[in-house]
Amino acid sequence: MAFTTLKRLFSGAKPIIALILLILASLAMLSDAIHGSTNLDTLFTTLLIINILAIILLVGLIIKNLYSLLSSLKHNQTGSRLTARLVLLFAIMSFLPVSVVYYFSLDFLKQGIDSWFSVRVENALDAALELSRASLSIRKRELLRQTKQISVEFNAIPDELIALSINDIRINLGATELSLLNSQGNIIASSSDESTKLLPSRLGESIQTYLNQGNDYVDLEPLQDASRYAIRVAILIPSADPVGQPRILQSTFNITERINTLANSVQASYTVYRERVYFRESLKASFVFTLSLVLLLSLLMAIWVAFYFAKRLVQPISDLADGTQAVAEGNYQTILPTSGKDELGFLVKSFNLMTQKIAMVTDEANRSQQQLAEQHAYLEVVLTNLSSGVITLDQDRRVHTCNAAASQILGLKLEPYEGFSLNKLSHEQPQTLLFIDMILSHLDNQDKEWQQEMTFFNATGRQVLLCRGSSLPATDQAESNGGYIIVFDDITNLAQAQRNAAWGEVARRLAHEIKNPLTPIQLSAERLRHKYLHTMPTEDAELLDRSTHTIVQQVETLKEMVKAFSDYARMPNIEMQPTDLNAVITEVSDLYRNNDTGCIITLKLDQDTPEIDADDGRLRQLLHNLIKNALEAMQNQDNPKLEISTQCMEKEACKFVEVKVNDNGSGIPDELMGELFEPYITNKPKGSGLGLAIVKKIIEEHGGMIWAENNEIGGASVVIRLPVNKDQQQSLNIDLHDKAGNSDAAA
Amino acid sequence: MSVMAEAFTVRSVETSLVDGVYTLSAQIKYNFSDAAIEALENGVPLIVLIKIEVERERSWWLNKEIAELQQGYLLLYHALTEKYIINNLNSGAQDNYDSLHAAVSALGKLESLPILDANLTSKNARYLVRLHTYLDLEALPAPMRPMAYISSQWRLESEWYEWPLQP
Repeated sequence: MAFTTLKRLFSGAKPIIALILLILASLAMLSDAIHGSTNLDTLFTTLLIINILAIILLVGLIIKNLYSLLSSLKHNQTGSRLTARLVLLFAIMSFLPVSVVYYFSLDFLKQGIDSWFSVRVENALDAALELSRASLSIRKRELLRQTKQISVEFNAIPDELIALSINDIRINLGATELSLLNSQGNIIASSSDESTKLLPSRLGESIQTYLNQGNDYVDLEPLQDASRYAIRVAILIPSADPVGQPRILQSTFNITERINTLANSVQASYTVYRERVYFRESLKASFVFTLSLVLLLSLLMAIWVAFYFAKRLVQPISDLADGTQAVAEGNYQTILPTSGKDELGFLVKSFNLMTQKIAMVTDEANRSQQQLAEQHAYLEVVLTNLSSGVITLDQDRRVHTCNAAASQILGLKLEPYEGFSLNKLSHEQPQTLLFIDMILSHLDNQDKEWQQEMTFFNATGRQVLLCRGSSLPATDQAESNGGYIIVFDDITNLAQAQRNAAWGEVARRLAHEIKNPLTPIQLSAERLRHKYLHTMPTEDAELLDRSTHTIVQQVETLKEMVKAFSDYARMPNIEMQPTDLNAVITEVSDLYRNNDTGCIITLKLDQDTPEIDADDGRLRQLLHNLIKNALEAMQNQDNPKLEISTQCMEKEACKFVEVKVNDNGSGIPDELMGELFEPYITNKPKGSGLGLAIVKKIIEEHGGMIWAENNEIGGASVVIRLPVNKDQQQSLNIDLHDKAGNSDAAA
Repeated sequence: MSVMAEAFTVRSVETSLVDGVYTLSAQIKYNFSDAAIEALENGVPLIVLIKIEVERERSWWLNKEIAELQQGYLLLYHALTEKYIINNLNSGAQDNYDSLHAAVSALGKLESLPILDANLTSKNARYLVRLHTYLDLEALPAPMRPMAYISSQWRLESEWYEWPLQP
């Protein structure tokens, strides 16, 4: 508290000026006091102490300033070097002239004081004093003689009458005081011209002793006020009576005013001169001391003022330096305190203006950025809530943005690949290979806008994607295009539902339209046969028999076909449950072991095949169809062989069970290969063309894939891939990651 | 220090009750240093101050000061008359002496100096008179003062002399 008050007191120009004035005043008074000014003489010591205190204060302040300067130099604070340089400069600038003045002043001072004294003056004063004494001693002797003369008169007067006549005698004598005392010094009678003075002057013991020794006493004495003198005469009057005691006559005479003045003058001059001579050296010392004090104070003040002004001068500069640094570090709110109206003040004002403008611009930029961010966020929200997958690519085919739906549809996290090329994505996520190849093919073809539906297999099974792509307009003049946008939808369910609906409708109509006339046709054919077979000649009867037989048979076939269509259309809702595929295969194949074709059915079942989610009944239907189909295909084969194999496969990071039904039949003709699984496609004379269509439908319902291929060694294979259930899928992924982790560690 | 303190010595102090007023008589030996005598003979006036305090004794606390007086004497050499002048600064009375010795011995005699009205004292209490004399350095001419303050030649003073106040 006290420290801060003190600090406040010693900062700012006013206290400095006040202190300087105070010190100067005390110095002036000190110098005056030495000269002997009576008013200030008593204050001398106080002034001395004040000045010494001032020195101590200044030294303290300077030490404090020096310490803070050194510490700021040590910490390399801005402006400290400049301050140090300025202080040094100021100090030197003040020290040099002051020293020169001091040196010559000392010289003048000593010479000046010495010049006051001279032997001649001294001699003259001595002589004057001697002269005064001599002149006065003449007067003294004269007065002694007169007193002695008059003393005779007292002998004639008896003691009782003296009191009456002493005044007359005194006036006669011209004395200011006359008294007669006995030998013990007691007054017998006295007279004085000063009515106020009741008691006569006492006779000192020494004078009495002197008189008793038989001497006459006459001497000049300074009076009470010290500027006046009196001559006192005391003589012993022997008693007329031989046994009587001698008496003492004491008279006091004033000296004339003129002599008094002269004597005073001589006395004063002499005393002053002697005094001066006596303390000539101490006077010199005092002057030198005072001068040194002045010098020291001036120097200290100069240094302090140097500190003060250096600080004030450097303050705006170091403020500026700090401010610049702050701006460089990105703090644009820096406002420096304005200082003065000089160039520095102008600089500071300009700096403040600059930072304000920068701050404004930065604010503007920040606002724009924020708006941009908001728009971006809005776009992001829109994209996120879009059910379609959206991926944008830059002109270098790197993933720029992608939305959550894209990741969801593709079944992987796309965000980490933002900024990476599509090739890297397809390399690291092989399940996207087909998808990306498709996109890249369009990009390579430089299609402006394209649309493609594609089916591929991934972790969730078969997936149908409808992709639309278009190139974006360039946002920059320098670029040829602004990248690409690919929007895709998972239409697996949609496509399947559409197809199912379509086929269901077809089947229902067929069943309805075809089934109704079939029974009358069959009945009519049978009636014809029944009625006309006996009546006809043998040849005709055979023809009829054959024809009606054919009709009935074909109608029967048609009925079966219609039934199949109805079945296709009326397939009950699928009921998924974990199913052991191997068990189902084994059961179904057992039914065909003792077939009349003599086909050998071999099973190569992978015992590690995981469970799949499937409808048991559908699966059996599917297997019946496939096996029947294969057996039919091998009807004309000499050594028919059917092999059913299962295998758990992991491909492109998804796990599935592959079932392969392999025959050694005639194979599939190339023209059928493309549309083998479409309804009504068959190469068999009796086929409804729905067998494989149903198989495909069931597979699709299970989220699987099916295709057929001809074997190189003859015969055909139907390959089915069914996804394993989700739990198994997850455990697989973990295994995969473990493997990857291990391989990384190994690498 | 103690050697210098003996420059002035209080030989004796006596108090007596005269007409209801306590008076003090003292014998003081002034032993002026050579420097002081030299200054005196060169016309520098010296002022000797005598400080007298009367205190009531208190056993439980510091003594209570009930009276204080200061006597000042100016000692001066008068060159023209070759006399030493003693001027009592309190009364203004002036005495001239032919020799320094006479002046100094006269200075050392304090006679019947009234110090305290008896009415101000209580019968039961015990009183103490303290006396101290010293050369007033502040009265010296300014040029001499700095030197006088640091020089032992000029440290002329007595120790405090204590005496019970007696009728």
